Order: sequence, then C-alpha cells, then structure tokens
Amino acid sequence: MIMLRNQHTRKVVLQAVYVLVLLAILITGVFSAQANMAAQGLELSFSFLWKATGWDMTFSLLPTSSSDPYWWYLVSGVVNTLFLGIIGLAGATLVGGVVGFARISSNHGARLLGTVYVELFRNIPVIVQIFFWYALANHLPSPRRAIEFGGALISNRGIYMPGMNVEGLYIALFYFVLCAYFIGLIWFVSARRFRRVDPAKRRKVVWGLSICALAIETMLLYIGKPVGEVLITYPELKGLNVQGGYRIQTEVYTLAFAIAIYGGAYIGEIVRGGFNAVGRGQHEAARALGLSTWQEFSRIRLPLALRAMLPILTNQYVWLVKATTLGIVAGFSDFFMVIASSITHSGQTLEFIGILMGGFLVINFTISSVMNKINKAVALKGHQLRM
Amino acid sequence: MYASTNAVEIRNLQKFYGQYHALRNINLSVKKGEKVVVCGPSGSGKSTMIRCINRLEEHNDGSINVLGTELSDDISNIDEIRREVGMVFQHFNLFPHMTVLENCTLAPMLVRKMPLAEAEALAMKFLEKVRIPHQADKFPGQLSGGQQQRVAIARALCMQPEVLLFDEPTSALDPEMIAEVLDVMTSLASEGMTMICVTHEMGFARKVADRVIFMDAGEVVEEGDPESFFTNPQNERTAAFLSQILSD
Repeated sequence: MIMLRNQHTRKVVLQAVYVLVLLAILITGVFSAQANMAAQGLELSFSFLWKATGWDMTFSLLPTSSSDPYWWYLVSGVVNTLFLGIIGLAGATLVGGVVGFARISSNHGARLLGTVYVELFRNIPVIVQIFFWYALANHLPSPRRAIEFGGALISNRGIYMPGMNVEGLYIALFYFVLCAYFIGLIWFVSARRFRRVDPAKRRKVVWGLSICALAIETMLLYIGKPVGEVLITYPELKGLNVQGGYRIQTEVYTLAFAIAIYGGAYIGEIVRGGFNAVGRGQHEAARALGLSTWQEFSRIRLPLALRAMLPILTNQYVWLVKATTLGIVAGFSDFFMVIASSITHSGQTLEFIGILMGGFLVINFTISSVMNKINKAVALKGHQLRM
Repeated sequence: MYASTNAVEIRNLQKFYGQYHALRNINLSVKKGEKVVVCGPSGSGKSTMIRCINRLEEHNDGSINVLGTELSDDISNIDEIRREVGMVFQHFNLFPHMTVLENCTLAPMLVRKMPLAEAEALAMKFLEKVRIPHQADKFPGQLSGGQQQRVAIARALCMQPEVLLFDEPTSALDPEMIAEVLDVMTSLASEGMTMICVTHEMGFARKVADRVIFMDAGEVVEEGDPESFFTNPQNERTAAFLSQILSD
C-alpha cells in the first residue's frame, strides 16, 4: 500500500481504474442492446443506409428525391442544419452587436430599449418564440395579395426575393469566394505578422485581393448563368402563383429569424460584458495619449473586448446550433427532422440516434475547436496582467 | 508661441463629486522645466488635481491653462493639451494586447501621423533611455511591475510631451522595483523635463524637486522648496504628515 502514496503512481492507477470501468459499462451496454434487439428480430447494422427512403424532404438545398438512399438524406439534413445554423448565428451576432452597443450606450433611451429587448427575448422559451413567428408568418396575405417591398413579395407561402438567375453550384461557389475574400482581408489587415509591411505595399495587396475576388465572382456568375437569359429575375404574380426570383420558405426564414432574435439577446449580453471587462485604466491611458474616441475604440476597446467575449461566444454558438433542432416544430427538414422521419420509416432507432449524436458532436466540436484556436492565437500573453 | 513661461497655470480650481468638495480653490503655477512634487494623505485630492490638468477629471470652476491653451469644453483644446501633456499612472495601464514597441508607437503614429519606421526608431530611443530596449517585442504581461512602469514612461515620452504628470508611479510596485523607476525619473528631471509628480517617495522629492506641495482635505496647505519643507514645516498638518511618513 505504500506504493499508492506516491502521487504519480496514484494518478496512473486511478486513471486505469476509471478507463476500465468505463469500458466495462460500454461493452455491457452494446452486448445487452444486441441481445435485446436479436430477441425482437432486429439487427444492429448500417446496411439500411443504402436503401431508398421512399419519402420526400420538404426543404433541401441539395437535390433530393424519394428514390435517394438514406445516407444522401442524412447529408442533405446536415447541409440544411448548417445552412440554418450559419444564417442564424450570423443574424444573432449582428443583432447581439447592436443590442450590446445599445446596452452600453451613454444614451438613456438606447439603454432602456436594449434592456427591454434582452429581458423580453431571453425570458421567453425559444420554442414559444418559434411558434409565434411561424404563426405570424402564416397569417401574412396569400401570394395573390402579397405585400410588395423593394422588389420582394411577402406572402404566407414565403418571401419571394429578386434572385440571380445562376445555377446552384455556382451560387454556392460565389458565396464561398465572398467569405474567403472577407476572411482573407480581415486577416491581412489585423494579423501581427503583416504589421510591418510597408503601407504602400499594404494598399497594393488589398487592391490586388479585391480585384482578384471581383474577377472570380464575375466569372462565376457568367459561367453559372444560362445562356441568353437575364442575370437578375424579379418575382412576378402570374395567375395564382408567383414566378421568378428566389422563394424563401416560411419555415426557413421564421426559424432563422427566431434564432437570430433569441440568440441576439444572449449575445447582446456577451457583447456588453466584453466591453465592461475592458479596464478603465486602458481607457484613461488612451485618452491621456491624445487618441480620439474612434481610435481608442478601434485599437484598444474593441480588440480587448473581443478577447473577453470569445470564450463565452463559443459556448453560445454551440448552444444555438443545437437550438436549430427545434426547427422540427415548424417542419423544417434539418438533420434532426430527417433522423426523426428516418426512424419512423425504417425502425432503426438506435443506429439513427447514434448518427444524430455523432453528427452534432462533429459539428459542435468543429465550431469550438475553431473558436478555441482563434482564442489561443489572440490571447493576452504573460502573467503580470493589470486590466 | 506663448508669452508666459508657465507650463501649467491653475487658478481658483474647484471640483465637486456630488456634494463632496474634492478640490477647494487650488492655485498652482508650474514653470517650464520645473519639477514639482505633490504629497499629502490619501483622499487629499492630489491625484484629482493632476488628473484635472489633462481632463481625465472635469473641473467645476476656476481655470486651467496648459502651455498657453485654456482647458475648456472645446474638444480641440483638450486634444491639443493631451498631445503635449504625458501621463504615467499608478497601475501603468499599458495596452496588454500590444507589444512593448507597439505600445510606444501607437500614439505617435495615430495622433502625430508619424510613419512606422520613424515611430519605431523614436520608440527604441526612449526604450533605451528607460533601459529596457531588449524587451521591445515582449508583451506587457511578460514584464515585471517595474519594467512595465518604465515602458509606460517610455510610451508617454514617445509623444514628446512638454509636461509629464506622474500619478503615484511607484505605489503599486514592490520595494526592489521602486528604485529602478525612480532612477529613470531622476534622469528625466536632470534633462529639463517639466514634471508634476504625486508621490510618497520623500527621498526622491528631496533629491529632485524644485518645489514640494502639501495637500490635505482638497486644499494646498503648504508649499516650499524641499529643504525648508522637510526641515522646517510651517503648518502643523504638514508636520504631522511628515512625522508619520518619515518615521518608517
């Protein structure tokens, strides 16, 4: 027993015991599940993934039909979840930024508005909010009496937006290049490794990047556009229905909207907290050096506040992505709904639940890894910090 | 540029925090090149007074004239004064997300529109003066308190100010680090910088100051040259303060 008094030995022994117990539980679980399923004439296997589904998805970014196999439906479901997640997170971040600034504003009215917003949307369950927005959207006028707003038609069958008459793949590439351009630009402008690049050269690089991006985008649109047709189509009422433009389904935009509004309340508080975490001393030093309000904000307050926000923001993003599963209440075919339908149609409950958990694990682990990487790259260095 | 030889001219300064009368009728003129040490018990208004000089605190009445510019609500006047008046804080207040060099080049580049290379050369010159050039690429959090305070002095110097304000620059430091900061301040003083320094370092006051000012309860109680101030205080409050602070 004297051996266990060594702190290194003790650590190793404890961990070994822990892993063994965990393995034992896992193995027992798998065996008993298999035994129980065998008794019911079921088999634990993933061969069904290659069978045709026999039902249709209500919404899909990727082309799907009822003769497609389950694995393709799952992929489409994941793409739909990512689509909703990206739009929802971007919207929530935007709303959160505005709300956060309102909350720290020196203006009484703005502060009050911010507070009311946060308290209202943070304290109502998000599922209730989704129902509310969905019900509201369903009470919009029919397509024949759609509200016209800046070229868009708003109706209970969805929002019809003026759209680019370009093939789906090229549209996706278009947005990909756009994102890459902005990320590249932000990286080049703010990364420390480019700080010492001569200003004239900096300008050249920025212009070069912009021109390249513009050229690629124009080319993509040109290739993707059907020959001899116009680039931008406007929605028009023809007979009983609307033709032309994009149709954004009611389920899609209400969900994205609900997530943006709900997440915005939380992110607003994170933004406020981030700015409050910036020390008064840094503010005074900046003012004493003669920096203007904008210079102080952009060089001192914002960079420090962002660092304070990042870890909590990661948490919030992961939580909002999980909240997209509530899309099922509005009938949005996200990953979760595809899984739910698949279970009903195939009876392979355990396998699908496993795939569902694995899928969200991968999505959210990716988000938190990326965020942690950013966080680590920009973290303040040293232990003698005084904020 | 300005006729007066006074760098800072404070007349009948009043400052209130709500009902609390923090500064009562302060009059103070500091000549160019003069080194003034302000001392007094905590809560006596010393920090508030020097923070009024660059508008970190807003005064309620009286006038402050810095290098011929009247300190008022006029933003361009405030900016002009802040460009010419440097400040060193008790808690250093360095920008933790920037390297030592970036801390020093930030204001010259943004406020004085200095090119990067020139700002860096200037920063290195002052980092050498505060004897810390080899730490230029480190971050503030990687330096000791004394080193951080010397960087803060270099950062203030990089704006090439006419006047330097020190707000208890050694109060947050461990005893062995106080000397390195005071050394830098002493060498600055010998080069003719106008300095107004709130401090409890009486040894420094004796060695460097042209004039010592004693404040208590928001007013200037006594002022004089260090020799007579320390050996023959006129006011009993000064005497009580000195006997307390010099006993240990």
